[in-house]
Amino acid sequence: MTALVSAEVLKLRTTRAWIGVLLAVASFSGLGAAATVGSAPDADLGSVDLSRDVLSAATFAGFLAFLWGITVVTSEWRHGTITRTFLLTPRRARVLFAKGAAGLVIGVTLAVVALLVVLAVAVTWLAIEGSTFALDRDVVEVVVRIAASAALWGAIGVGVGAVLQSQTPALIVGIVWVLVLEPLLEPLLGLVDLGRVASFLPAHALASLEGEASSSSTDAADALGPWAGGLVALGWIVLLGLLGALRMARRDVT
Amino acid sequence: MIEVERFTKRFGSTLAVDDLSFSVKAGTVTGFLGPNGAGKSTTLRSILGLVHPDAGGTRVLGRPYRELDRPGQQVGAVLETFDAHPGRSGRNHLRVLATAGGLPRSRVDEVLELVELSGAARRRAKGYSLGMRQRLGLAACLLGDPEVLVLDEPANGLDPQGIRWLRDLLRALASEGRTVLVSSHVLAEVAQTVDEVVIIHRGQLVRQGEIADVVAMAAGETLVRSPDASRLARLLEGEGVRMVGDGRLVVAAPPEKVGEIAAANGVVLHELTAQRATLEEVFLELTGEEAAPE
Repeated sequence: MTALVSAEVLKLRTTRAWIGVLLAVASFSGLGAAATVGSAPDADLGSVDLSRDVLSAATFAGFLAFLWGITVVTSEWRHGTITRTFLLTPRRARVLFAKGAAGLVIGVTLAVVALLVVLAVAVTWLAIEGSTFALDRDVVEVVVRIAASAALWGAIGVGVGAVLQSQTPALIVGIVWVLVLEPLLEPLLGLVDLGRVASFLPAHALASLEGEASSSSTDAADALGPWAGGLVALGWIVLLGLLGALRMARRDVT
Repeated sequence: MIEVERFTKRFGSTLAVDDLSFSVKAGTVTGFLGPNGAGKSTTLRSILGLVHPDAGGTRVLGRPYRELDRPGQQVGAVLETFDAHPGRSGRNHLRVLATAGGLPRSRVDEVLELVELSGAARRRAKGYSLGMRQRLGLAACLLGDPEVLVLDEPANGLDPQGIRWLRDLLRALASEGRTVLVSSHVLAEVAQTVDEVVIIHRGQLVRQGEIADVVAMAAGETLVRSPDASRLARLLEGEGVRMVGDGRLVVAAPPEKVGEIAAANGVVLHELTAQRATLEEVFLELTGEEAAPE
């Protein structure tokens, strides 16, 4: 299994897609951090609250990990490389498991890049303003939660890719689900007093894991705690993984 | 070493392979022939565990492909579709495969050398010519030094020197005791390379055996030249005879029979030649379709 995971990570490193993804993560997180510090009232500069707000810009890493995770599976079907993958590992569930692990690696990597950029921007900007980036236990915890959330996002992406298999539809469904459907479902479910259900949806669960760091967190009353959010996301990964494994096992490679 | 047993596969309403059985022995090169759409690729992909049988099954080294312990080192394959990522270099493609298969990295450069692709190994695969793609496929096939080789149209895109090189390679591999199953539509090519042939048509087996036997089994023809050709033609009417002009006849019967009939009737013969069927003729006779032009 270690060999399979190394092979998956090697696949990620040996095409140029990662360059674009890293650039996107770095620029969006950097811009987000700059906007937060720049718009903060003077009184907040140097506060722990501001530090947490600034870090939330790094949650963008999760979204990109999700999309990249989708392509980890779908690009193999798209380019026909799945043939050689299955020839070497005919027990296809093992392939999916290794890809899920690669999804975690993607998430952590992107989160680390995003967090470094955010910190660099925030520390520099605050220094220019004559202030400092406040650090306490909570702030460190937010950093860890953002990285964990991005890792789970990557694995969820792999699951979605395994279930849907074709690249363009999978990416469109993924984007629409996270950016449109889930935000819409929340108020709709709220209308019929099922607001709590929304917090169990993947993007909501992971927003809970990111905690206050996330800009898209649910109403505090309905949100899950960070641990519960992480576990719910794990549940989604298992569910999508099982469905995906079933679909992959059945498909003929022609 | 490769066994196909009552293998049946449907795609939608199309019956691609129908109750097909044959086996391939170790130490031989076996040609897998059939017109386009006969079910060759489907059968090869089933042998490799890529396609699920609807009935029956396929085995390699005594087991279904999926149950092999180390498929990467037991079976090598070249398939018709290009299976490297266009954005990855040939060398990195092989490095990925070696990593997933638990093979030493050193094998990558060895096989690149072997298929004469070292010069282009660091270029992205999207820029490869058809011949280079085929060589990359062969490199992937040979990576694990496999005991069994399954090749779908491996000569496609190779130049004449490349084809000759491939032929020598397959012969050498078989002489080391390995099992080689190779599909091809270039019959002249196959005839020079293989020991055995398996011919399928519309998903069904039509002939399997050593190439010499398969060709000998086909009804050969006899060329006869006689100053009394028209009388001889009448005498041979029941044997499937046709005039080819200039006192020459072609008869679908062995020379012994033609000679006996001529002698019994006192017809003078100037020539009596047995014409051996070629693999191509046998193929056309068995499948009733045009062979693809070379």
